Amino acid sequence: MTPVAVMVGANRIVPAAGIIHPLGNAELKPEEEKTLRRRIVEQALQALQADVAQPTVFQAP
Amino acid sequence: METLRVVCFVNQFFGQLGGEDKAGTGPDVVAGAVGSARAVQQVLGNEGRVVATVRCGDNYVAEQPEPAIAELVSLVAAQQPDLLVAGPAFQAGRYGVACGALCAAVQAQLSLPAVTGMHAENPGVDLYRRQVYIAETGGDTARMLDEVRRLVALGLKLVRREPIGSPAVEGYFARGLTHNVLSENNAAQRATAMLLQKLAGSPVTSEVPLPTFVPVPAPARVSDMRRATIALVTDGGLVPRGNPDGIEALAATRYGAYEIVGLTGLDPDRYDNVHRGYDTTYVKQDPHRLVPVDVARELEQAGTVGKLHEVVYSTTGVATTLAHSQRMGREIAAKLKAAGVDGVILTST
Amino acid sequence: MRLTLQWSEIETVRAGATTRVVGQALEVDLDELRALLDTDRRLQRVRIDLAHPGESCRIGRVFDVMAPRAKLDGGPDFPGVVGTLERAGSGLTRALANVAVVVTDQGLQGTGGLALIDMSGPAATLTEFARTHNVVISAWPGAETGRSEYLAAVRLAGLKTAVYLARAAGDRAPDRVEVFDLPASTRVPAASQHLPRVAYVFQIHSHQRPTGVDEGILYGDTIRRMLPTVVHPNEVLDGAVMRGFMGRSATTYAIQNHPVIRALYSEHGRTLSFVGVVLTVAHATEPERVRSAAMAAGLVAEVLGADGAVFTKMGGGAPHVDMAQAAAQCEALGVKTTLIVEDMSTDGSSEGMLLFNFPGLDALVNVGSTRETLTLPAVARVLGADDLALTLQGAVAVSYTDLCGAIEQIGASRSVAVVQ
Repeated sequence: MTPVAVMVGANRIVPAAGIIHPLGNAELKPEEEKTLRRRIVEQALQALQADVAQPTVFQAP
Repeated sequence: METLRVVCFVNQFFGQLGGEDKAGTGPDVVAGAVGSARAVQQVLGNEGRVVATVRCGDNYVAEQPEPAIAELVSLVAAQQPDLLVAGPAFQAGRYGVACGALCAAVQAQLSLPAVTGMHAENPGVDLYRRQVYIAETGGDTARMLDEVRRLVALGLKLVRREPIGSPAVEGYFARGLTHNVLSENNAAQRATAMLLQKLAGSPVTSEVPLPTFVPVPAPARVSDMRRATIALVTDGGLVPRGNPDGIEALAATRYGAYEIVGLTGLDPDRYDNVHRGYDTTYVKQDPHRLVPVDVARELEQAGTVGKLHEVVYSTTGVATTLAHSQRMGREIAAKLKAAGVDGVILTST
Repeated sequence: MRLTLQWSEIETVRAGATTRVVGQALEVDLDELRALLDTDRRLQRVRIDLAHPGESCRIGRVFDVMAPRAKLDGGPDFPGVVGTLERAGSGLTRALANVAVVVTDQGLQGTGGLALIDMSGPAATLTEFARTHNVVISAWPGAETGRSEYLAAVRLAGLKTAVYLARAAGDRAPDRVEVFDLPASTRVPAASQHLPRVAYVFQIHSHQRPTGVDEGILYGDTIRRMLPTVVHPNEVLDGAVMRGFMGRSATTYAIQNHPVIRALYSEHGRTLSFVGVVLTVAHATEPERVRSAAMAAGLVAEVLGADGAVFTKMGGGAPHVDMAQAAAQCEALGVKTTLIVEDMSTDGSSEGMLLFNFPGLDALVNVGSTRETLTLPAVARVLGADDLALTLQGAVAVSYTDLCGAIEQIGASRSVAVVQ
């Protein structure tokens, strides 16, 4: 739903892992899921530390 | 048929008290139609009688709107009218805002039909068009009688509970409310016709006005994450089991504040999810898939983040109105700011 | 591909000793039909009722509506679900006008958000199903039948009934004939080469709620990871696509009589060249959505070579974003788009009508607001909702979303939300 976030004017946007489990994935093993979650959260922290002038999407590496 | 009792509201100028020098005058009532209210009486003819004209200075209302409007509502009520006609205010901004506010107040508090009129650029239009029927007028009194005619016609329809036609036909500002009607053609036929027009390069009239969102200036970045307080917020519908705050599953007007003091994670047995816009099976199995308290706590313990804020804010983001979304966002932001939070991770589904 | 629909115009439906069409009347042997549907062990206690236009009758718990259609030339009926898996869209299909099969869901407590059909009164003007003679199927879940199995079974019962009824007209000459004849988009005749080429992008499901194992949508496939694909419009008209089990604002009946396809066909060769139907699903993850939008736009612009496209969706906000993303990509490739959307405002404000959109998508048609309410009067009888008859028989306040057929997202209905 990142285009919605861009449209309403959210300035720092990190795409997550899907509507029904934004910070997880039931198909992964628990440790892998937690690694995925950590990656997205760390990306969010990076976004908070970045200078932005307008809605910006920070793709996870 | 009984003659309708009409009360008019005018400002100091249109009430013949004086100009800007009299803008601070408090409210008064004069029997019958005075000043520009006489145009209303002329248009009403035998259908109604302006029993009183309520007057008030622009600055009196502008400086203390709530008490001023309350006083004016009482004065109107005392006349036991069937209809309030305020203005028209043309381009006069304070006057227009006062007209809109008074009409809204008598509708809400007295269940009294009310109507006003002003120019498109009058600030009263944007503020009150949703709640009040505002007839569109020019910038000055050049066509006042015609405009008052339109105003009064609208007012009479309201009193008689007759259906109000479209903004274009009746001459009022679109109230921005939607309402279902039955078209002659089905949507597919209309879409095909619209596409053919677009392909031919002709202008199309969309059946949905396009939304405009005001850009929000980006807050400055968090400069030192190791000393920053980060909060977690979600619109994914997380609630403690039993939903103690009664957060609605659809069109939420409420949000909850849930403490995570001393918790390294969210125990699925103690939480639930009320969101109706997606399959919540997975986030109920493991709430961290929505609100990453586990990872955030680890990052706090590792020193990557200075502090994880001890309150998680949550609401449901399905069919939430723009108005409530904005209000809840403002309220949550105010609380977070007051608590010294530097940054927020908002998980949205 | 050429499809001929042979229509019998039905004006009366009544129970009879045998199922047949006599004059403009359809007579139905209810016992035979019941026995046919009873063979499915997933169902028990099958009940069939008839509801006629103008009656003071309310049908509750509506799950889906189907149009009576039968292939009498050996072609497949609803391939992959009822009939064998072959391509639909050509040959001869018998159809009954003014008759619908209404399937109710007896597997839920309360109304569970299911729809109503009023055969008279204020709601009747809003839906086609108040003007059809409705053969109402109610069946209860068999012992040990899970929810998903039960829904597959009632849907199948409705489809079998649809075929059964249309077959009854087989020995009669049709009252009117419609021919849907469209060559491949690469073979547009010279006389039509100057006409704008128009495609239809049909979003047939949204995976916010993933399809169940028995929930076939396209030729019986559950289309879980479906990438955009292209079909001939006749396939949609001839039973290849049906509605899933969830969600409102769409019926299989509407798909069988697809209004966008019909509208484009009626203009084909005159004001436009209809070049094909792109099928998509709305996805639940961003990468899938992005991929789907890119591929759909590619099919529309580069493969079908369309100048314009009409878009519809199935569902709420997320399907809308999905549809809008595909349309935005089409606009970026120079394809002009028109979208059919819903008024999604929950507080009646015009700003809330369209919470999501992209600049450039300026040609929007709306199918009305689902949240608007109306009060329906008391009725003489209630069908399909025995347990709720006490409440449903009296006056009820409903929203447009509760009225089956009032808001058809693929554009079959006539309600429209206007801003005042």
